[in-house]
Amino acid sequence: MTSIGTGYDLSNSVFSPDGRNFQVEYAVKAVENGGTAVGIKCKDGVVLALEKLVTSKLLKPGANKRIATVDRNIGIVSSGLLPDGRHFVSRARDEASQWRGLYKAPIPTSSLADRMGSYAQAYTLYSSVRPFGVTAIIAGWDSEAELPVDGQVGSGPGVGSGGKKGGSKYGGPHLYMIEPSGLYWGYYGAATGKGRQIAKSELEKLNLSEGNLSLEEGVKEAARIIYVAHDDNKDKEFELELTWISSLNGPTKGRHEEVPKELKEEAERLAKKSLEGDDDDEDEDKMEE
Amino acid sequence: MFRNNYDNDSVTFSPQGRIFQVEYAQEAVKQGSVVVGIVSKTHAVLAAIKRNAEELSSYQKKIIPIDSHYGVALAGLASDARVLSNFMKQQSLASRLTYDRAIPLSEITLRIADRAQTNTQQYGKRPYGVGLLIAGVDAKGPHLFEFQPSGVTQEMVACGIGARSQMARTYLERNLDEFESCSREDLIKHALRALKESLSQDKELTVDNTSVGVGGIGENFTLFEGQDLAEWLETTFENREGQDEDEDAMETES
Amino acid sequence: MNHLPQAWGRPRDDVYGAYDHSHFQTAGPIQHTQSPIVTGTSVIAAKFKDGVVIAADNLASYGSLARFTDVKRLRKFNDQVVVGFGGDVSDMQYLDRLLNSLDVRENYSSSDTPMNAKNLHTYLAKVMYKRRSDFNPLWNHLLIAGLDADEKPFLASADLLGTTFTSPTLATGFGAHLAQPILRRSLPDESSVQNVTKEEAVELVKECMKVLFYRDARSMDKYSIAVISKGGVELREDEKLENQSWAFAERIRGYGTQTV
Repeated sequence: MTSIGTGYDLSNSVFSPDGRNFQVEYAVKAVENGGTAVGIKCKDGVVLALEKLVTSKLLKPGANKRIATVDRNIGIVSSGLLPDGRHFVSRARDEASQWRGLYKAPIPTSSLADRMGSYAQAYTLYSSVRPFGVTAIIAGWDSEAELPVDGQVGSGPGVGSGGKKGGSKYGGPHLYMIEPSGLYWGYYGAATGKGRQIAKSELEKLNLSEGNLSLEEGVKEAARIIYVAHDDNKDKEFELELTWISSLNGPTKGRHEEVPKELKEEAERLAKKSLEGDDDDEDEDKMEE
Repeated sequence: MFRNNYDNDSVTFSPQGRIFQVEYAQEAVKQGSVVVGIVSKTHAVLAAIKRNAEELSSYQKKIIPIDSHYGVALAGLASDARVLSNFMKQQSLASRLTYDRAIPLSEITLRIADRAQTNTQQYGKRPYGVGLLIAGVDAKGPHLFEFQPSGVTQEMVACGIGARSQMARTYLERNLDEFESCSREDLIKHALRALKESLSQDKELTVDNTSVGVGGIGENFTLFEGQDLAEWLETTFENREGQDEDEDAMETES
Repeated sequence: MNHLPQAWGRPRDDVYGAYDHSHFQTAGPIQHTQSPIVTGTSVIAAKFKDGVVIAADNLASYGSLARFTDVKRLRKFNDQVVVGFGGDVSDMQYLDRLLNSLDVRENYSSSDTPMNAKNLHTYLAKVMYKRRSDFNPLWNHLLIAGLDADEKPFLASADLLGTTFTSPTLATGFGAHLAQPILRRSLPDESSVQNVTKEEAVELVKECMKVLFYRDARSMDKYSIAVISKGGVELREDEKLENQSWAFAERIRGYGTQTV
């Protein structure tokens, strides 16, 4: 059944006779036009990468950062309508800070994904609002060690301040992707935006479920995938934005940060090189033919 | 009455994922007279064309100083700009009062952007019908931000919005590389020239219809109007007119 | 017997006599905190030419009981600010959480300049004054030590009344009486700050901590000390007072078991 002209697609929270919510589907369309965003879960951290299309020469280079930090250990990147993405992030920050107020500890990434999934879903329920025009990738590192409780003054009782038992393994990398419908899944590698199809097939080649990829390799792969997924014909220029979160003893000490300049440049250099390599291969193939 | 079924309000996506009400609001910006902004390493400049309703009426306000370190230039619905600028003034004062700190320009820009976004996601609200250029200096140096009714904000090196602003942007793109190392005076001249580009043939920049706002490192954001502009206008355009005359002369010769 | 609802759950008048309403007063003005409960004692701090030294002991007292002995009363906010807390410990924890959430917010954008000591002092003074104006004070006396926007040493206090004060040397609680005069011997005015090195300032503050331990019964010889300078914050939280000499105590007369 088509959507246009039936009248079932004119308002949010309305089902069509075959059980679809067209306004949510249209919101997904808004996402499909945005720059490619990628998230990769590695064994010792998570990487987020974004293809930021340069829409004007007058934009200040290197400014206008779009991968946002939530609390200290979580990053969110979104594809689609930019202002909706900021609204989404600002809600995520509120959720994280409320969680701290209630539990005196940072919010686990899974709980944040759950709450943000519910939030996005709520915007499909009412005709007085429209769904989010974004698909968001949430990446986080939940602390594997006992963090000091917010407001803690002493070492506290010997059995452990967070109520954690010794010997068991806690924390680790997490990656989720939330769609305009509020639907979310956990991922080893996630991609959204214009180049998502290419990016997804590249991610699949990495065999991420085996959990062998290191964070630094992940950074390089993420950069490469953004370059591969970039469509030279349609969009001329883009800026690469890269952030990462490592374990407590890794380079970011459990925080969500921008990838340092040197590593980013190295990753971009390798990404460009691999593209050139592809071209060469193609040329060779032609020669052989 | 409507062009299609999807443009009645800002809570309806079109089948292509567009929100027409927001796009129409962007059109309101293009109805406003042109404003431009440029930053250098040391200064941020805004320049604007003021319109008057009739010969004897006063000119529309185009540049609003917000705090001592920055100001905004507007294109579009002036009353929407007043709502936003009042909000910006409150937030800026609150920052000075609670933290003894001049509010960072990125921060204040995001705050109005978030307000604007809300208007595009709730029934019964309409998007703001105004575009702003926010320029000034904070702890990190000079900045220029563009604000659009959709809630999109971008930090720019130079920018022009409003009627026929494409001409101004073309001028700015052509001279982009010069801006960073420009002196205060040269930056103002560039802004005025960019402004002139967007003017229709029969119009001139005069002390009455032009507004200039300048902020810099160690210099508070100040609005210049009327006779304060006379010298800038004179020195900026004397060469150009000279050139024109030369060209005319050439033509008659040939 | 009275079966009306307002008499439910009340002692029977015929057995216990008329109910005395002054016992359980529900009406009357709303009351908030009237006194602190678990408390920390003095915080002392002194500027030197490149920064500030601040110290406080690790004790939280419950009245005269030395209840918690590993309490950290110096809180590092970022690489250029340390806040020292005297007074109620639970209010300190509240303020610590407040500062923590402020820090989280400040770090959302890595590009903005970090909050300096002056910014933080202005903020905390506002919080303290707001609470006292609500007749619900946070029972603390804070010292904010660090660097200002020009990377010059900055030291200021804010107390439960919202009073603010700044000086080359500051001390709260007992320290205001016992340590301040000693600190002022080396640092009488702002211009003298230039003549004091970091080592001298640390030595001076340590000496004052010792005097406070000698004379303040709510103090302890385990303490924390922080030095804030351009190089960042050096915070040590498990220091012990060295070279104690209680010889002076022999000469004290007038209380205890002494008869002469």
